[in-house]
Amino acid sequence: MDSQRTLNLKTEVSARPAVHRKKKKASSTAAEWVKKIVLLMASAVTAFPFLWMILSALKTKEEIMDVSAFFPQNPQWQNFTEVIFQSPIVRYIGNSLYVSVITVAIQLVTGAMITYAIVFMHFRGRKALFAIIMGTYMLPTAATYIPSYIILANMNLLNTYTGLIISSAVSIFGIFLLRQAFMQVPTGLIEAARIDGAGHWKTLWKIVMPMTKSSFITFGLMSFITCYNNYMWPSLITDDTRLSLVSQGLRQFFIEGGAYGTNWSLVMAGSAVIVIPLLVLFAFTQKWFINGIGGDTGMKG
Amino acid sequence: MERKKRDWKYSANVLLFVVPALIPLVVFWIYPIIRSLFISFTNWDYMSPTYDFVFLDNFIALFKDARFYDALLNTLIFTLGTLIPTLVGGLLLALLLQKHFRGSGIYKFILFSPWITPTVAISIVWVWIFDPDTGIANAVLNFFHMPGLKWIESSDTALLAVIIVTVWKSLGYAMIFYLSALEKVPSELYEACGLDGARKWQRFRDITIPSISPTTFFLMIITMVNSLQAYDQIQILTQGGPSGSTRTLLYMYYQLGFEEFDMGQATAVAMVMIVITVLLSAVQFRASKKWVHY
Repeated sequence: MDSQRTLNLKTEVSARPAVHRKKKKASSTAAEWVKKIVLLMASAVTAFPFLWMILSALKTKEEIMDVSAFFPQNPQWQNFTEVIFQSPIVRYIGNSLYVSVITVAIQLVTGAMITYAIVFMHFRGRKALFAIIMGTYMLPTAATYIPSYIILANMNLLNTYTGLIISSAVSIFGIFLLRQAFMQVPTGLIEAARIDGAGHWKTLWKIVMPMTKSSFITFGLMSFITCYNNYMWPSLITDDTRLSLVSQGLRQFFIEGGAYGTNWSLVMAGSAVIVIPLLVLFAFTQKWFINGIGGDTGMKG
Repeated sequence: MERKKRDWKYSANVLLFVVPALIPLVVFWIYPIIRSLFISFTNWDYMSPTYDFVFLDNFIALFKDARFYDALLNTLIFTLGTLIPTLVGGLLLALLLQKHFRGSGIYKFILFSPWITPTVAISIVWVWIFDPDTGIANAVLNFFHMPGLKWIESSDTALLAVIIVTVWKSLGYAMIFYLSALEKVPSELYEACGLDGARKWQRFRDITIPSISPTTFFLMIITMVNSLQAYDQIQILTQGGPSGSTRTLLYMYYQLGFEEFDMGQATAVAMVMIVITVLLSAVQFRASKKWVHY
């Protein structure tokens, strides 16, 4: 598609008179420059908080209070070792990893199954079911928090990961993403598999899943990021700090070390220890985000 | 007889595939919303096992409360203040990055990266950036000979600060959606309008904008819902203050429910939020018939 586009462009340019072409070239290089500058500025502003976080983490207590000291004189790497070895930050990372891996695995299975039913199975109320799911997607999640809290309290699941995981066992966004992908799978293929004697379970994982693998990966990654970073709901249902996920733990660390202790370098080092692995993960998986989530946004349903 | 057995088996299969997602969906989404409506008609305080039905008292009290109208206004300003820059900025960046060029991947990486980082971690960094005395935000303003601001410490600028952080975080997300929408605009459309006559701006207005309107519509709904339930950045940056200037409806709901344990009042706010979401979505769906071209 891209090569076709450049081809069109070429014929377009050569069809023009020569003088016209020159003028166009001058204005287009100017446009290129404006474009570069805007992009550079936008990227600089976007990246700045990350840069500032890392620079601040490497400063001494005196330097960090002095706005004119942009770069640290002697990078204080021990701020990082202190955070990693003497604070519970690494523990929070472990907690977040544990909870999000399990949650994502469950969400992938529940999401794939219900989407398979909605797209490939015939039953009464199929459309209504999808309409309900779509409706919940648009409602503010927080409106469910008080009753959900009470339900978990009644089940004795406050302050447990079980409570956190079962209350996030389904991802509505994931169902949307998979539905768009499943609808591209030719129904003939499903029927053929069924005639060959494959059960629905087998058809889903052996035929549909391999054909829509990229949507599964995008769903998994998006959902992982959401669970890993999740803040409001986990902090409402757990007050045991040993169970904190990264966001809740970091806030605790911030209150103890930042707002009252004013040890900003350590707080920044703590943030950096949590943020940098995510940026690295993103660097390796970026195509799944960038190509995957834009996808089809047909809200027609 | 045989057929009946097969039908029965088929239904069992459907059930098997639907139930694993349906149970959490009903228990933690649908039932809680109905339950919230029920609680909003009571004076339950969470601690005591009993409660009375007060019917509309919670709503009447809410509609008489000045805090509620402040929160409503804050929510409106916050929603529009994040929605418009996010969509316009996201589209602009997508247009600039539409054609592949050397380094375009790096720009996309940087611009999208705020979205994947925890809002809490990055809000803490912004607290530090916004510090009136030692923060870099005021250092930048001073550099351009502008007076420093109190940022999150003043009720005049706190909401602006929260909006800046939110737009900073969501811009890349909108950009990604616009990038894939722009890629799908059929190139024949551009050719059909004639390359000689139509100016770039005209082409943009008459072809690009209508072609990507479904994405704009989708992003409007998503950004609106996200803004209505923004919590993390408000909790870290301002806790709804100073003097309620960043208390949105959602934050009011949180304070009433989980700080004051006034469950009746809190769920009443939740109901108002749901009604607002439904109304706004309905209005947008209605309006979309006029300007969205599938």
